[in-house]
Amino acid sequence: MSSDPESHPEREEPHEADPDSGPEPGGVSGVESGAEVSVGPSRLHPAAMIISALRSARQWAGAAAIPGVAALFSGGLRPTTLLLVMLGVAVLVVGAGAWGFLSWRATTYSVSGPAFYLRRGVLQKSERTIPLDHVQSVDTVRGVVQRIFGVVELRVETAGGGVEESDASLPALSRASAAELRRAIEGGVVEPAGDEESGPREIRRLLSRELLIAGATSGQIGVALSVVAVGSQIFDEFFTEGFVRRLYDSLAPSSVTAVLVVAIAIGVFAWLLAIAGTVLAYAGFTLSRDEEFLYIRRGLLEKREATIPLARIQAVQLVEGILRQPLGLVMLRVESAGYGGSESGVSTTLFPLLPRRAAPDFLRDAVPEFSGALTAASLKRPPPRSLRRYVFRALAPAAVLLALALTSFYASGLSLPAWSYPAALLLLALSALLGWLRHRDAGWSYAAGCVVLRSRALARTTALAPRRKLQSRSSVSNPLQRRAGLAHLRVRVASGSGGAEFGVQDLEDHDARELVSWLGPVRL
Amino acid sequence: MKDAPSERLDHRARLLWRITGAVQTLLIVLLSGGVIGGLFFGAGAPLYLWTIPAALTALAVLTLVVAIPTLRWRRWRYEIRSDEVDLQRGIVWVSRTLVPLARIQHVDTRTGPLERGLGLATVVFYTAAGPNQIPELSAPVAGEVRDRIAELAREQDEL
Repeated sequence: MSSDPESHPEREEPHEADPDSGPEPGGVSGVESGAEVSVGPSRLHPAAMIISALRSARQWAGAAAIPGVAALFSGGLRPTTLLLVMLGVAVLVVGAGAWGFLSWRATTYSVSGPAFYLRRGVLQKSERTIPLDHVQSVDTVRGVVQRIFGVVELRVETAGGGVEESDASLPALSRASAAELRRAIEGGVVEPAGDEESGPREIRRLLSRELLIAGATSGQIGVALSVVAVGSQIFDEFFTEGFVRRLYDSLAPSSVTAVLVVAIAIGVFAWLLAIAGTVLAYAGFTLSRDEEFLYIRRGLLEKREATIPLARIQAVQLVEGILRQPLGLVMLRVESAGYGGSESGVSTTLFPLLPRRAAPDFLRDAVPEFSGALTAASLKRPPPRSLRRYVFRALAPAAVLLALALTSFYASGLSLPAWSYPAALLLLALSALLGWLRHRDAGWSYAAGCVVLRSRALARTTALAPRRKLQSRSSVSNPLQRRAGLAHLRVRVASGSGGAEFGVQDLEDHDARELVSWLGPVRL
Repeated sequence: MKDAPSERLDHRARLLWRITGAVQTLLIVLLSGGVIGGLFFGAGAPLYLWTIPAALTALAVLTLVVAIPTLRWRRWRYEIRSDEVDLQRGIVWVSRTLVPLARIQHVDTRTGPLERGLGLATVVFYTAAGPNQIPELSAPVAGEVRDRIAELAREQDEL
């Protein structure tokens, strides 16, 4: 076992087993077996105190912020309020520090025999036992704070259990103890073949150029715009209308130009924000693989490493965003069972950006079980008479939106501006076009043991799911569809701690029903 | 795919649904009556406004107590075959779902106080993609169905 000089302070309790002296299960009745490695009850790296203190400080500050700010602004900035704020901050700092220390002292972990044990809790003690067989993956995440202290966060993900209960997270471990713990846990799961040295094979790495393209076409502009909108509201609080108007006037002489300039500036800003977000999340994205696992590394500020057991992958999705599809680019996602930390969601990005024609080769390298279906498949399509339904379904929300806008205009007694008619027509035309595209792109096929379902919301998504991993299949229809002899097809696969659903709308009823029954368990 | 699964729910399911429908109706009556009474009659509104809660009550009785339990019961079918569970349900949106027995992880029977009073129970079976259920079977039938699903699921596992 390697000894890490930095990690000494965490083992100063005399009654603790000293892990530096070797894998002796101090005070723990370890099972006598050569394959099993025990890790005596250990504490986290002292940096955990600071991380925990920061977390609770953030929580408490968040809770106090709204009443605090309200109190401040109602009374104006007087010396007494300032004093109160400083007092509050002092209490917060001291309290969070004390809490951090107590929770560090209360947290111990150990691996002994067939299970991983985690004890924690300052007031309410909890003791979690995770049998090593149930461990799905051990992930390390390095956030900004972790990187400052040169430690890692280790997450133990298990199958089953609720979303919050599913994992045990150790916020700070020295690298040596993280590696030791990882070895001890994975030793109980698999042969220790997935070590860094023997090396998972790298499948693909995201190039900087690709990263920028991914950001530019991410379609996250909407999200970024809403961030900008919230930001501008805060901005409005601080700058009076008169000031902003003077600013506009000095920037651009006519109001139309001013509006245009501001709109374009906001758009560009949001776009840059979207690119920055993608760069932070996906920088250095590397996918590698060995016999049993996929390893994903990514992130700039927060480095993430995820391990996905290949056998657990339930479905692969090729997502062609509306901006990416014309460029022939796809993003790949996997649905994986029993793996879904509270924040990682149910599906994981397998690779953020890939030329579409490279996808079959990539799949053959990364997830061979899924590769045959994509190339062999020529999709069968919904019948032409279902086009009407696709278009109607796309038009309905736009029509409702327009009707609402119209009634609110009439109710307020305003007259409609001249540009609203072409705008409304454009909205309807685009919606109809979307419906047509959805119909054109929908389809299904079955090849190489996988069912392939393609559909479009805005992005075009092709889902590949092995027949033997389907959890259920349904056909669904309403009375109008039944009269027209059409039905939806839906299949469910396991994903995270719940499931994910894929489907195709408005197939021939008999096709849907045959597919549902035919996709049943493989008869031997 | 066969035309429809063979088994129906217990007859008392309709009674149970009518009772729960009646409770919902009562809530609607109390709510709408309360709103009309409190809001409008305080301000001296005309008496004919009482037709609104009355109409709502009639509508609720018709749908929640009469129509929905009948239609729902008529639609609900299930069948446990040697390799799959076949479910058909839904009043407007009719769905037909097939769940492979090999995918079923565990099976429960569940019964609430009202169900217990009527001698009914619900069978819930879990796959990795979430639970499915066969509601309102008579308690002994539910027990049999549960045991049968568990038995078949285990056999599939051993294959």
